[in-house]
Amino acid sequence: MSFNHLLKLFFVSFLLSFSLNNHAETQQALTANTIIRLSNLAHYYAGNDGRAEARMKIIDSQGRQQIRQFSILRKDQSQGGDQDMLVHFSRPSDIKNTMFRVSKHLQSQDDRWLYLPSLDLVKRISAGDKRTSFVGSDFYYEDISGRNPTADSHKLVDITDNTYVVNSTAKSPNTVEFSHYRTTIDQQTLLPITVEYYDNNKRLYRKMTVLKTRKVQQHHVITHAKMENFSSNSKTFMQVRGIKFELGLPQHIFSEKSLRNPPVSWLRRK
Amino acid sequence: MHRLIPLIFIFFIVPTALAHSLSESKINAETLSEPSLIDIDEDSWDDNWSDEEESFSSWSISGFVEGGYGTRLQKNKAVNHDTSLAEFTARLNMNYQAKHWRLYTSNDLVIDELINRSTLNIRTANIHTNLNDSLSLKIGRQVNTWGTGDYLFLNDLFPKDWQSFFAGRDDEYLKKSSDSIKALWFKGNTSIEMVFTPKFTADRIINGERFSYFLPAANQFTGRSFPIKQNNASTLAIRVASNFKQLEYAFYGYLGYWNTPVGQSKQFAFYPKLNVYGASIRSPMATGLINAEFAYYQSADDKHGDNGFIANSQTRVLIGYELELLSHLTFSTQYYLEHTQDHAALLRTSSTSERKAITALNRQVATVRINYRMLRQKLTLGLFGFWSPTDEDSYLRPSVSYRVDDQWKIAAGANIFQGKRNNTFFGQHKTNSNVWLRVRYNY
Repeated sequence: MSFNHLLKLFFVSFLLSFSLNNHAETQQALTANTIIRLSNLAHYYAGNDGRAEARMKIIDSQGRQQIRQFSILRKDQSQGGDQDMLVHFSRPSDIKNTMFRVSKHLQSQDDRWLYLPSLDLVKRISAGDKRTSFVGSDFYYEDISGRNPTADSHKLVDITDNTYVVNSTAKSPNTVEFSHYRTTIDQQTLLPITVEYYDNNKRLYRKMTVLKTRKVQQHHVITHAKMENFSSNSKTFMQVRGIKFELGLPQHIFSEKSLRNPPVSWLRRK
Repeated sequence: MHRLIPLIFIFFIVPTALAHSLSESKINAETLSEPSLIDIDEDSWDDNWSDEEESFSSWSISGFVEGGYGTRLQKNKAVNHDTSLAEFTARLNMNYQAKHWRLYTSNDLVIDELINRSTLNIRTANIHTNLNDSLSLKIGRQVNTWGTGDYLFLNDLFPKDWQSFFAGRDDEYLKKSSDSIKALWFKGNTSIEMVFTPKFTADRIINGERFSYFLPAANQFTGRSFPIKQNNASTLAIRVASNFKQLEYAFYGYLGYWNTPVGQSKQFAFYPKLNVYGASIRSPMATGLINAEFAYYQSADDKHGDNGFIANSQTRVLIGYELELLSHLTFSTQYYLEHTQDHAALLRTSSTSERKAITALNRQVATVRINYRMLRQKLTLGLFGFWSPTDEDSYLRPSVSYRVDDQWKIAAGANIFQGKRNNTFFGQHKTNSNVWLRVRYNY
């Protein structure tokens, strides 16, 4: 039984014991924070490192399609903490072999670099709005790299037979485009089932739906998801394959030399 | 045009067919590589993009075809055409990836109506091999870039193509390739890169073929090229780079020749000896990124600056800052100083007509870049501007590009030069101002 599972059991019993308590509200906030924290770990920190191939199909309001395909290498500095990521694009052809490197920091702005092979140029990118489209898709940069759970206040609003429903509002509302978002989390896998984003008029304008999950090396992972944007009437499907954890990725591959000389043996499936 | 058809056939259809047959016969099952373009059927997207349905190919093929047209905004008497760009380019990239090495080739078939010539340009053709975990070699025709400047180059002495830059070709073409050997060694965060070029490769300068330039001796604009003595000597460029937390720093060295013919003998211009030593830093600061770079240009054939026919030594300094002002809106600015050593000696030893064209003791240039992406990153509006208070001239590069879909891209822009005097860096190109349009299909 995994550590995550034990923790989950712990907080479920914790939750039940306090559900009739007078201080339910405080306790609920605590519990919601724990659920979101664990869900964040399950979603973005499975294993100490990992690789995956992902592809996206972006469909605009007129049904026109675009494709993105890339491989990701990830290494955690600590569970729930800073992370290093390398992204190698293989499609479409105009961004083929473009490399993207992120050094994600919870306490400060992320460091980001882009390598453009045709110019042999390593471009460092200034800190930017993380809630903007990732490579032109409906997924935001933050949907891919994970949103810091402590950036929001969380409230447990419902528990069904197999889900938790958590409402989250940003602690600094002027840095985000949502008024709140609602995450439905699978009790078993701790992965989100849906995430619904609401604007200031309480209107649902954006929704992530998990379509398929799989178990890889004891970790539940999302292998097919959909992000819908109701204001632009567009949607993006994302599929993931070739997932492998605990590869023992060396720290030195997360450096400039990997941008110019991609670590092929790690990026490719063995 | 007809004689090109066999070329196109050899160049595109044969390799594509070859790659298909290789991937289908799964010759390369052992040397794993990225999925080729062929292995995904976009229509059968549904459920399973499973680990099983693999058809790996170590060959990958991509490229584009592009048409480009540009025209001058005013008459230019020195060159006999109003067109500044009229060409069709077909690009073929062929890569082969093995476990420890890769072959990268990139070729352009260019039908250039402006100079009435069709050429096959091998842009890159190199083998990159990892000798061990910390040492790799890249051998062959390659593009190299380093340094922190944006369109301003201090320690990047790799060859540039200024004709492409002025004509509105894709940014990629500003960097010319060279036949070189590059060795990269690293340990931890520190890397040492050495680029050895057995045969010096010069910049493609403005030589009158497409764009006119000012000839101080004759006090006029000219569209005629001048004889340049070829230089076949070798050059060596070195960079040592590392970082301290989020701050990146690097040291540079170059032993070679000026990339432009800044030496003049009675019969021809030539590329004098040049050694460069420099350093740079780049780091996050406040919400943006700051960069600073320094380079000392030692004009080795004219160390004391008393030869009026060879460029003097220089000290170059750059400082820049970039930040995202709003979502999708990036702003960056740079300040550049070019200090000419022994300026008085240069003035003393130059002729009267040339003296007027000599740059200020401290030539300064400020730049601004504004980039705005909209319509889900499909539409990019860009403006890059150079302005020199000492030369009293400027160069504006507005552009707009629209990525229609994964295949089609349309881009348009302008190159606008202004200046008070005819003999300054940008001012001499007043009559070269142009607008351009390019349509590209990626495959």
